Amino acid sequence: MAAGPAPHGGHRRAQRPHLSKMERMVVSMQDPDQGVKMRSQRLLVTVIPHAVTGNDVMEWLIQKYCITEEEALHLGTLLVRHGYLYPLRDPCHLELRLDETPYRFQVRLNWEQTPYFWMSTLWPAAELDYAIYLAKKNIRKRGGLVDHEKEHYDQLHRKISHTWDLVVMQAREQLRAAKQRRKGDRLVIACQEQTYWLVNRPPPGVPSVLEQGPQRGSCTAGRVQMLTGPFQTKTVDFYRREVECLRKALGRTRVKSSVCLEAYLKFSSQRGPHDPIMSGCLPSNPWVTDNDTYWAMNAPSAAVPTRLRVEQWAFSFRELLEDPVGRAHFMDFLRKEFSAENLSFWEACEELRHGGQAQVPALVDAVYQQFLAPGAARWVNIDSRTMERTLVGLGRPHRHVLDDAQLHIYMLMKKDSYPRFLKSDLYKDLLAEAVVPPETKRRVFPFMRKPRHSSPSPALLPASASGEPSGGDGEA
Amino acid sequence: MTKEECKALLDALNKATACYHHLVLTIGGSADSQNLREELQKTRQKAQELAVAIRARLTAPLRDRGLGAEERAEFERLWVAFSGCLDLLEADMRRALTLSTEFPLHAPRRPLVRTGVEGGAASVAARALSARSLRHEAERGFDVEDLHQLEREILQVGEMIQDMEMKVNVPRWTVQARQAAGAELLASASAGVSSLRGVAVEQRTGPCDLSKALAATIFSAVLLAAVALAVCVAKLS
Repeated sequence: MAAGPAPHGGHRRAQRPHLSKMERMVVSMQDPDQGVKMRSQRLLVTVIPHAVTGNDVMEWLIQKYCITEEEALHLGTLLVRHGYLYPLRDPCHLELRLDETPYRFQVRLNWEQTPYFWMSTLWPAAELDYAIYLAKKNIRKRGGLVDHEKEHYDQLHRKISHTWDLVVMQAREQLRAAKQRRKGDRLVIACQEQTYWLVNRPPPGVPSVLEQGPQRGSCTAGRVQMLTGPFQTKTVDFYRREVECLRKALGRTRVKSSVCLEAYLKFSSQRGPHDPIMSGCLPSNPWVTDNDTYWAMNAPSAAVPTRLRVEQWAFSFRELLEDPVGRAHFMDFLRKEFSAENLSFWEACEELRHGGQAQVPALVDAVYQQFLAPGAARWVNIDSRTMERTLVGLGRPHRHVLDDAQLHIYMLMKKDSYPRFLKSDLYKDLLAEAVVPPETKRRVFPFMRKPRHSSPSPALLPASASGEPSGGDGEA
Repeated sequence: MTKEECKALLDALNKATACYHHLVLTIGGSADSQNLREELQKTRQKAQELAVAIRARLTAPLRDRGLGAEERAEFERLWVAFSGCLDLLEADMRRALTLSTEFPLHAPRRPLVRTGVEGGAASVAARALSARSLRHEAERGFDVEDLHQLEREILQVGEMIQDMEMKVNVPRWTVQARQAAGAELLASASAGVSSLRGVAVEQRTGPCDLSKALAATIFSAVLLAAVALAVCVAKLS
């Protein structure tokens, strides 16, 4: 078969691993002692040896790999779809289907595909070969090609019309060469070729098993680049890259899995009751009942927080600061303790970090004047080393110049004020006042739900919104 | 005439390539044997001889700048067919090499795939060599040496192709093939007729005429019978 796009240098593409595995499996099926039971098949007057029934194949798979029947059926189907086993009974059957029901599986007899037709990925099926095959089929069936084959034929004729002489010559000669064999062999070889082309040029509607998704293609391409196959020379550069790669791998911080898993378990147990999917949400799931009270009550700026929300503030300091309501209450608490400037400073630093680039110098200056200068109105207590570093950095202000100071204050609040807050009366009152929404009453007849109306499209004018039909009724 | 000779040689090469393809199909299968490997070797050696001969004959006219346009077009057509054939041969040889290494004949556990093909292919090889029959004369360790030989031959063919590309410049897209789409359906049944010589179209009207004639006879017979009956009825009444 023509090499087609493969270069003359003898470069081999990597065979995809699942195909190699299938090939190994098929070879082990051939084992005279432990392989699949073979029998002869009689087709009119010719007798063809080495036939296997689908049932035999399945039994062998189950026995050899200790798998369930379902899995064996799936494996068998894969083998047929990739063309390693082919049926001889329906040579005009265009679709390569392995019938699912056990009864028909039994009746269908299969043969192993010749190894020539296995190497589809190492040498991809070329256009010239397909053209020759179609021409042969044309001759044999006297113009009786199927629709999609006719289309392919015309397409190929347009593409490679300059070699059409060769196509016709080769097709005729190959058929004549085949006639020299006995009839059974001729039949078998014709069927093998037909299977090969069914796999490589599947008819429309049949998914191609040789397709690779775009991600997988690039992944294997990358791997083949890096792979030290026998074809890649190991230069100095290669070794240098390897050493660099391994050095980086050594330097990575690694957490022991016991520590990691403990933390994970703690997280899950702590958060379990708070998760709306795991523990349900009160009053009700808006997606199910169309009642959006849940969202209204948990809005970022809700006046009265729910109990679950208040409890979440006790999990970590970060939770408290991230929730606007929590932060506001924390600020109240700090005011009582006369250390509100810490939080203000922290907020100002956040603004600096996430604000616009143009405001950075002005903001840095303002922050310095307000919080850091000696004798400032709201002076924050930072240790001397951090203060020195910050003052040095203030000469060239950028958005991360106050990071050290911010972190210092953050840790201070976390270690000092935060535990006190959690133990304070303020927090306890909040917990007591927090609202627990009642669950919506379950209806006695659960299938009689409120009929759901699709909300009118915002693109429509309000006048015509009333004319919208109430589509999307809830299922009974 | 060189052109006729070239065409004849090309046909022979085409035949040899087709037979080689057919033989390579069965490597590693149940019909694989020492004989098959020997047949493969003989076929490909014949193909290579033919290739060398054709190349010698075709290169000279194509490098001759004084050739007429018609003649040149003809030779270019032959050239395109020849290089395509050679590509097919080389690819088949590579596959034969891979398959032969993967399915060695004399390994302790023969991993040959039971494909359902049983008979020998001696007649196929004989056809390729244009001989009546083939004698198998190889010794036991034949297939291992053959592999080395095959590797060398693949390299040789590769070099030949490269050389051809360098020496002769035939832009393939300008070549118009003589055969149109569907030309293979108009073949004459006799073997060995070259398709490049413009095969006469055989009219397959014989069977149609027969059936039509039969239908006509029956119809007329029925008509006559009806007429006779009517006459009898008329006479009686």
